[in-house]
This record gives sequence, C-alpha cells and structure tokens, in this order.
Amino acid sequence: MSTRHKRLDGRANDEMRPISIVYEALDRVDGSAKFGFGQTVSLASLSGPLEVRTALESPSHATLEISVRPLASLPGTNSRALATTLKAVLGPSLLLTHHPRTLVQIVGQALCGSDSGGGLGGTGRGWNASLVASLVNACSAALINAGSVPMKGVVCAVAVGRLSDGPGVHAMVLDPSEAELPALVGGGCFVFMFSSVLPHAEETADVTHAALLWTNYTATSGVFEDSEFAEAQELALEGAGRIWRTFKDSISKHGVQEVEKTKAEKPSRQSSPEIDDDKMEI
Amino acid sequence: MSFVLPGELVPAQHVNLKLGPGLLQVSDVKNGSVMSTRAGELKHTANNREWWIEGNSRRYVPAPQESVIGVVIARSGEGWRVDIGSAHFASLDGLAFEGATKRSRPNLKVGSVLYARVSLAHKDMEPELECFDAQTRKAEGFGELKGGFLVRCSLQMSRMLLDQSHFLLPLLGARFPLEVAIGLNGRVWVSTKEPKYTIAVSRCIEAVDPDGGGMDERAAKKFLATLDI
Repeated sequence: MSTRHKRLDGRANDEMRPISIVYEALDRVDGSAKFGFGQTVSLASLSGPLEVRTALESPSHATLEISVRPLASLPGTNSRALATTLKAVLGPSLLLTHHPRTLVQIVGQALCGSDSGGGLGGTGRGWNASLVASLVNACSAALINAGSVPMKGVVCAVAVGRLSDGPGVHAMVLDPSEAELPALVGGGCFVFMFSSVLPHAEETADVTHAALLWTNYTATSGVFEDSEFAEAQELALEGAGRIWRTFKDSISKHGVQEVEKTKAEKPSRQSSPEIDDDKMEI
Repeated sequence: MSFVLPGELVPAQHVNLKLGPGLLQVSDVKNGSVMSTRAGELKHTANNREWWIEGNSRRYVPAPQESVIGVVIARSGEGWRVDIGSAHFASLDGLAFEGATKRSRPNLKVGSVLYARVSLAHKDMEPELECFDAQTRKAEGFGELKGGFLVRCSLQMSRMLLDQSHFLLPLLGARFPLEVAIGLNGRVWVSTKEPKYTIAVSRCIEAVDPDGGGMDERAAKKFLATLDI
C-alpha cells in the first residue's frame, strides 16, 4: 500500500535528488568521472587496457581489477566485498575478450560518508544504498569517459527505500537521502544493465532494454513479500532509466550538473566546475 | 549530430557496409544487427556505406597501417622492443628499414625515438612495426627521429593534427620554422631551433586538445599572443 508520503526534503516518492556527472580528466588515468545524487558523491577512475603482470594474466580475456576506498580510514572488509560486487556487475557489460592478456583497472572512491567506512550503512554510516549506487554509476561514467574498453551495455544503479509512517502505512521512495535512512523499514540498491543485446529484457519508455543485475534489498523486520520487492524493482527501473538518459546527455555536454528545482534554472551546459581544492582534503 | 551510448543499436544498413571504430556486428537481435561499443558521436559517409563512432580516448589500441611514434626500450635478438603506448610492447625487426641488410643495420639505442608503421596488430599477438612504407618499400619519413621533444596528447587531437585543414600547425608554422611528426598513438614529436618555440608548440597542443581545454582558432590565436615568441 503506497500513499504519497511527505518526505523530509519535500521530494515526491519517485523523485531523485539532482544528479551531477563530472568528467574529471584526472592526470595519470585513461578515464575518470564523479557521479552524485545530491550530496552523495563518488569518484571512479579507469585505466586500461594496460600491461598485466603474469600472475593475473589470462590468455582469452582482459583481467578486471577493481579496488574500492572509503572516504576515511583504510579499505576494510566492506570495501573488499563491494569490489567483488562491482566486478560481478561491471564484468558483463564489458567486451573483455577483445583485449586478452591485458589489465583493466578501476578504482572507486567514496567522497562522502560519515565516520569510518565501516558498516553497510544502516544508520547512514559508511556504505549506504545511495552511496553504493553512486559508486556503480561513477564506474560506468568512467568507462564511458575512457572509451578504450569496448562495452556492450551501460550499468546504472539507484537506491530505493521503504518509508513507514505507522503500522500499515508504507511508501516506496526513490533515492533516499542520508537524513531519511533512520526512518526506512526496508531498502537497497538496484543495479541494471541497459543494452540492446540482452537475451531476456524488458523495454522501458524510450531507452534501450534493461535487465536487473544485482540488488541488496533487505527489510529491517527480516521478511518481505514478493509484491513489495516487485514494487521496489519497478520504481528502481524507472529511476535507472532516467539515469541512463542523463548519461546520454552528458556525453554531448561533457558533463551534467542538475540544479535543485528551488533555485533559478541554470542552463545545464557546463563543463568542469571551478576547482575547489580548499574543500576537498583527500 | 547523434550521440550514442555503448550498447545501443545503430541504424547502419548498406549492401557493402563497412564498420569503423566503435561499432560491432551482433547476431540474433530482432531489429538491425549493428551495436555501438563506445560512447561518442555516430558518423557515416554520405552514401551510408561506412559508419563509425567518433569519440576521444587516451589509451592507444594498435591497428594495422597506422603511423605511430615509439620509444626503444630494449634490444631483443635481431631487433628491438618498442613502447608505443599500447598494452603490449611492439617488436621492430632489424631488417625492417629501407636498404637494411644483415651487415648494415641501423644503430638504434635504448631511448631512441622512432616514427614507424604498425604492420601487424592482432589481439592475441604482440604488435609489430616497420620503418618503411608498405607499397613503395622506401623510408618515406619513417625511421629514427633525432633530437626534438615528445609531446603527449589525446587520440582525437592527433587525428585532428593529421587533418590538413586543421588550423594549429599552419598557425604555428607561420611564426617560426617547425618540424613535427604526428603519431596516432597520442604522441607528437616536435623539433624547433629554440626551446621557447618548442614550449609554445607543446602548450598550444595542450590548450587545443579536446581532452583538456578544447580551444578554437580565435582563442588559440589569443593564447599564442600571450606566449613570449
């Protein structure tokens, strides 16, 4: 039962925070991008195909190596787990057989996330669903920016949450912000691949076919029904389709910076923003 | 002016269709069978025969008959191993020069800069280079590049510099004498009489590069005026 719930920042249930995609042009890598849902931002860089050491070499396809770093402290178990997830999710979208005996190296960095990188973000600490989604999207954007690894699809991710206003009154919301996390009774990140060569895929609106690759939807009570999951997936697919279209806009405009509706409408034609070295201390 | 993402179907249809970089033929798809494998602008020739994706990239992937600039990194047997910026080092045979015999081989040292042509580029094999033109078997500008300075740029920039109608090199050449060799692997070799001219060329290439700057002709002229030449 989904009613129009009043969200903390006044968004509609199916409204995401303003999306920003910035193609960073970092120095010693082949492609890099920063993806943000509002203030939840991640940075990813990609290098490849490059030389690989013999231990990792494969004679039939390129080796995909992914490492993930939290904002603070050293990468721990969660980062390792996320890297494995990313490999499972980005691997199918790449044509790695075109470059055997090479290495494709992706590094993902969270640019927000309070306290240490520990925990999977139940109370907003560390890797919550929106941050994971922004990391997956940043990796996709870096792959698009590099243009050196052939791809057969674009991977887009979005987070979904289930808000509860009381017993029996629930609403599925798209892209929960950090402030909304304590009020969620369920939620997770959904990752889709958009490609025209998927065997079993559904067509959405006016974008290419999409298929669900991975999700970590959970309910705090530990139990959820099929209908709840289906509702979450449907909402996520819609959100992912919008993200796909934003990706498409970003290649012609060299980046996208959506502004919040409350501010004056700025033209979204904006190349790299001003360098704010003072704010970023990494 | 249509931009595509990877994984999108492309309406390329022709009796003698030729697919360029960024496009791949896929089987068992309902409508159409050509898919894009990279993001960029979809382009085709006037008669719709040749289609390709125009995008930028920094990492070179070798393709046959492309002219590249390499740096010798080691001797290996009768030839040399050359770094052309790809995932694997290329091999250059000692006899792959005009007029080379078993007794008279060119004297290349580790660190020498070469202008060569990729003669073999296959995903399962190491790329191979040759320092002579394929048809005439004469040097035609290939071989060792002595002196000079190596500038790095993006792949799209090197394609732009090779285009006869691009504004940058004639603009610079009008100011001072200039010798340049452009490699499709994102490397440009520059040789001028004075260091300040070399620095000017290097900075102009960086400024006009679509990867960082992307200046047009007017902005480039203004920029050139600020340099002390």
